[in-house]
Amino acid sequence: MIVADPKPFQQIRGFLEDYRKILVLGCGTCVTVCLAGGEAQAELLASGLRISFSKDGKEATVLEDTVQRQCDEEFVLPVLERVKREGIDAVVTLACGVGVNFLSDRIGAIPVFPGVNTTFYGGNVEPGLWSEMCAGCGDCITHLTGGICPIARCSKHLLNGPCGGSEKGMCEVDPQNTECVWQLIYERMKLLGRLHEMQNLIPTKDWRPAMDGGVRRSVREHIFRLQYKSGAGA
Amino acid sequence: MSQDNGMKSGSNLEKVFRAGHLAVTCECGPPKGADVEHLKKKIQMIKGYVDAANVTDNQTAVVRMSSIGASAILAQNGVEPVMQMVTRDRNRIAAQSDLFGAYALGIRNMLCLTGDHQKFGNHPFAKNVFDMDSIQLLNMVRTIRDEGKVNSGDPVEGGVSMFFGAAANPFADPFEFRVIRMAKKIHAGADFIQTQCIYDMVRFKEFMKMARDMGLHEKAFIMAGLTPLKSVGMARYMNRNVSGITIPEAIIKRLAGVPKERQAEEGIRICLEQIEELKEERGIRGFHIMAIEWEEKIPEIVERAGLYPRPAVA
Amino acid sequence: MEKESHLWATCSAACPVHTDTREYVRRISMGDYEGALDVLLEVNPFPSVCGRICHHPCESQCRRQVIDAPVGLRLLKRFVVENTREYRVQRRRDTRKQPPKGKKVAVIGSGPSGLTAARDLALLGYQVTVFEKDSVLGGMLAHAIPRYRLPMDALQEDIDDILAVGIEARLNCEVGKDVLFESVKKEYDAVLIAVGLAESHSLPIPGIGSKGVLLGIPFLWDVANGERPFLGDRVMVIGGGNVAVDVARAAKRLGPSTVMMACLESREEMPAWKWEIEEAEEEGISIMNSWGPKAVLERDGKTTGIEFKRCVRVFDENKRFNPQYDEMETTAVEADSVILTIGQKANLDFLKGTPVTVDRGRLICDRDSCTATERGVFTCGEVMTGPGSAIQAIATGHDAARAIHHFLETGETLKLPQVSVETIGELPAQTAARARRFDRVEVNLVEASARIRDFSPIEPGYTEAQALAEARRCLACATGAVLDSGAQCAGCLTCVRVCPFGVATVERTAVMPAQQCQTCGLCAAECPAAGIALARFATNKMKENLEGFLKDCSPGAMKRPLVVSYCCMYEATTREYLREQSQREIEATGILRVMVPCVGRLSAIDLVSPFELGADRVAIIACREHGCMYTGAEELLERRIQMVRRFLDEVGVGGASLQFYRTETSAEASWPRFWQDSKRVLGELSAA
Ligand SMILES: Cc1cc2nc3c(=O)[nH]c(=O)nc-3n(C[C@H](O)[C@H](O)[C@H](O)COP(=O)(O)OP(=O)(O)OC[C@H]3O[C@@H](n4cnc5c(N)ncnc54)[C@H](O)[C@@H]3O)c2cc1C
Ligand code: SF4
Ligand code: SF4
Repeated sequence: MIVADPKPFQQIRGFLEDYRKILVLGCGTCVTVCLAGGEAQAELLASGLRISFSKDGKEATVLEDTVQRQCDEEFVLPVLERVKREGIDAVVTLACGVGVNFLSDRIGAIPVFPGVNTTFYGGNVEPGLWSEMCAGCGDCITHLTGGICPIARCSKHLLNGPCGGSEKGMCEVDPQNTECVWQLIYERMKLLGRLHEMQNLIPTKDWRPAMDGGVRRSVREHIFRLQYKSGAGA
Repeated sequence: MSQDNGMKSGSNLEKVFRAGHLAVTCECGPPKGADVEHLKKKIQMIKGYVDAANVTDNQTAVVRMSSIGASAILAQNGVEPVMQMVTRDRNRIAAQSDLFGAYALGIRNMLCLTGDHQKFGNHPFAKNVFDMDSIQLLNMVRTIRDEGKVNSGDPVEGGVSMFFGAAANPFADPFEFRVIRMAKKIHAGADFIQTQCIYDMVRFKEFMKMARDMGLHEKAFIMAGLTPLKSVGMARYMNRNVSGITIPEAIIKRLAGVPKERQAEEGIRICLEQIEELKEERGIRGFHIMAIEWEEKIPEIVERAGLYPRPAVA
Repeated sequence: MEKESHLWATCSAACPVHTDTREYVRRISMGDYEGALDVLLEVNPFPSVCGRICHHPCESQCRRQVIDAPVGLRLLKRFVVENTREYRVQRRRDTRKQPPKGKKVAVIGSGPSGLTAARDLALLGYQVTVFEKDSVLGGMLAHAIPRYRLPMDALQEDIDDILAVGIEARLNCEVGKDVLFESVKKEYDAVLIAVGLAESHSLPIPGIGSKGVLLGIPFLWDVANGERPFLGDRVMVIGGGNVAVDVARAAKRLGPSTVMMACLESREEMPAWKWEIEEAEEEGISIMNSWGPKAVLERDGKTTGIEFKRCVRVFDENKRFNPQYDEMETTAVEADSVILTIGQKANLDFLKGTPVTVDRGRLICDRDSCTATERGVFTCGEVMTGPGSAIQAIATGHDAARAIHHFLETGETLKLPQVSVETIGELPAQTAARARRFDRVEVNLVEASARIRDFSPIEPGYTEAQALAEARRCLACATGAVLDSGAQCAGCLTCVRVCPFGVATVERTAVMPAQQCQTCGLCAAECPAAGIALARFATNKMKENLEGFLKDCSPGAMKRPLVVSYCCMYEATTREYLREQSQREIEATGILRVMVPCVGRLSAIDLVSPFELGADRVAIIACREHGCMYTGAEELLERRIQMVRRFLDEVGVGGASLQFYRTETSAEASWPRFWQDSKRVLGELSAA
């Protein structure tokens, strides 16, 4: 899932100087799970903002809301309506960057500010700890590497084995916390009895399916732009 | 351009190897700016004592004069460069273009590396590239040389006869994979190998045995990397801070056993003993002496190691 | 209040009237003793009686016993009634009755079942008359249960309550003698037979007619009425049930030097409660087990002793009462009197010649509808069920009232629906193993030697501190964590990770099985979707509550700095701090106390929002060192405080404004000091 960290409070506070009616909008999916932007976090941020405003003698209303996902039109629409109806003049969203964009694309002349820093696609490796595991490169190669992604998890995105900085299983870039993914791949390939495959050259990667081919889209033809010819449906 | 004896580039270094001599290279770090005079001073120090000198490519990710520019200056001043190229800062477009430029400037040796992570340098906040790794780079440049095609498959205009090298670190982990990785590099296109500096002789010899078992010593020229220790402080620092290097306790003890002012001499002695020992190691085809910020000692070391004068090969 | 689990706590399920145990215990914890009384009276018109003599099936089924020992529910109940007397009297005035229905009901017998039914029916608007042959209301409660266990004033409290709803009581009016059943039947729209089992069985053995042989119930009846039947110096009580123990203990208080009991059952089989037997033995009563009476020995018509034969088996293969004897093994014991307490029966002579069928001394009736064989005639209590407990009798009284009400409304017989209560079941051992142990608060009975001197009560009640300490032991079973609505749950597993009892799981959405949940609230505090609440003791509406407390306080009048103090309410030994404060008090002191059952369940927003509402300081007062009920809560709270302090620093309030204290000795001894301290530090800060 997408992992994010709360933005520093004062940075968010700084966005809001010119606004009077602010909506703090939590998101009920990924950022809830990584404890960065769910309803509880939205409440906390909103409360913090109210305290800060009142300390600074700034007159402003801070509202809170949380939707299940900010990356789907149906979930977001009620918020857009609320913004209009209640005359909200700025939104701080605690969703990942997708939510910021998704709202901004739809909300008209109201600014949408990010309340979190979206960091990576990761897994919850232990309570309270998330680790990056996929880089969304668009052409998964983990079938070659024992199911472990060197693009996401090697600091240098090496594809043909560990660099000279791999020591005692740790990565030289962060030897305290980060395992050398190539050590992991090596052990895993050994476990799978596929060590010999590591002698093969993994050729240079085609990065087009990654961000380097331009902005990406995903289409599911069977639903995409579905329009019933019979005139049924909305 | 390949000749009967398999000559790939005709570089001095390649010729020395092929003539059966033990080759000697050293390192020549470009200045952290455009200070050509400083670079020329270094060149003068080593001139005549080495067959070629490695010109590092923004090593440890600290910004320096480009290796291509510095290499050209070396060539102009009578020392054959081994131009290093890292994939950290250039994608395949830049890498190939730089290769052509370097060749046009008369550079004939190139060492292909991934490069240190920018975290260790003076621009830790920079975005890295890593479009490919060192092995892929080797494969790409070899294809240009041997098949006349760039990475996309488009033809290369005019040949590029270069001698390609790679680094190997027998001391990093996982140990058993280290020789496989060297093999991958050789298969991808490395004509010669320079190893990480050796202190742990036992482990190195083990590595070499594995290499020989795979016949790698016959497929590429393997040079033993050596770094003379200036002091026990330096030894300890490297042990602690440079990943992939472990200095055996015995060496540290030996350095610590002599007074401070004589530790440098002791370090050189250790280095010389290592050279002596490695001359006997089958498959070692030369020495790459990395006298870090100590280039002035290169002549002394080369002389005392009995590797002077350098052969003149045609 | 959040939706609770549909599962019953085992205590409430075991209680024949299904007292909402958890709720009255919770109210005690919160210092709301009056509220606790309301809960009790909702289903039980005899809380004072039950607080003394209930055999407390609730405790026997309390899930806490898997951890250490059951919660002292009976004494908690007694604590409530003993500490709400004024309120109780005043509350009578507010009893709401339905408008008169214009129909009359006669209740024969004023035991607990009859009085319960009478009260229910009176509240429903019926005109109710209770016929009681004795001069006092209460049945066995008044006449049989010895006063050292149930003092008259305790019973009187309950009876006063009952009568206050408007019931006509005809004392000294025995149906069948003073008034005929048929005429009662004619005069009333419905008749309820609640005559209990007022007579003792006798035995067809030689010598039974000798002078010195007494029957248990009449004996107790006399004793209760202040009479002192002749017993001589050596008393033998026959029987092994609770009534026999009462008889023996009552006899002991009349001064004979020896009181013995003999029964068919072995020690383990004795039907009397274990604790009753033990207390009797403490009082010097000896017990002869596995002996059956063979003959009463007499001389000149006076009892001199009793001969026993060995009882080898009491129950047959089918577990039916079917004693077998070894006639060869006998023994004789000298005694001046023998009291037979081997079972009770009803006196139904008043029904002779009426259409109400009695068969071999038993009233023919249908327990599922509380009806006798004649239309309009109902029954309840022990005459219907056989011997049981007061609370069972009360339960049947409720049933009968419902049946009668239905009959009078519709003319039809009501088949009482079989309420199947699904209980939460035993506390799983693996959960119990993780729970902290807390000793049950025990009270010391009066010394045995002093006990036997008279009929004074032998058991003290809980003090306030004891009651509060005991109330916190309740696990509030089945009122723990629930997910607000599945839609909010992102399945993030935080609950699973923080639950110290390994209870929470995620099956698409979070599930906190009620069987295991210990109601610590840690998951609720940490849920990032703010989606978990506790069914009782919830803190999820904390901000609204604070707003409520503060909304009428005038900012000008408020003493600054204003401290919002979250306190672990379990540390209170009196209800002084548990009670809600008046606006005036908050203004005058600048301290708003918020009592929380374990401060570990306060979420980050609970710690921040007071500042938003105008507080200058938030002082958390936790329990004493290692005093927490909930494993892990302390650690998690500490970390949460650190996090909130950092946040407050960022916000500009200053993390130091969030203070943390631990109770020392007791709430009363240390909290005021903390509050002062909290203010002082603040003063220094603002001076700087
Ligand atoms: C010695 C003893 C100790 C007990 N101890 C406990 C205990 O510790 N805990 C507990 O829970 N239970 C105890 N019980 C049981 C409890 O007292 C009974 O379950 C309960 O009193 C039964 O209530 P009831 O309404 O059925 O009848 P009863 O209480 O028996 O009341 C029947 C009433 O009907 C009256 N009556 C009878 N015939 C007529 C008539 N013809 N006309 C008018 N009035 C009539 C009687 O005078 C009596 O007042 C004890 C019982 C006894 C005998
Ligand atoms: S712990 Fe409390 S709720 Fe649970 S069974 Fe015991 S008294 Fe009832
Ligand atoms: S954390 Fe506490 S309240 Fe939540 S499920 Fe576990 S025991 Fe119940």
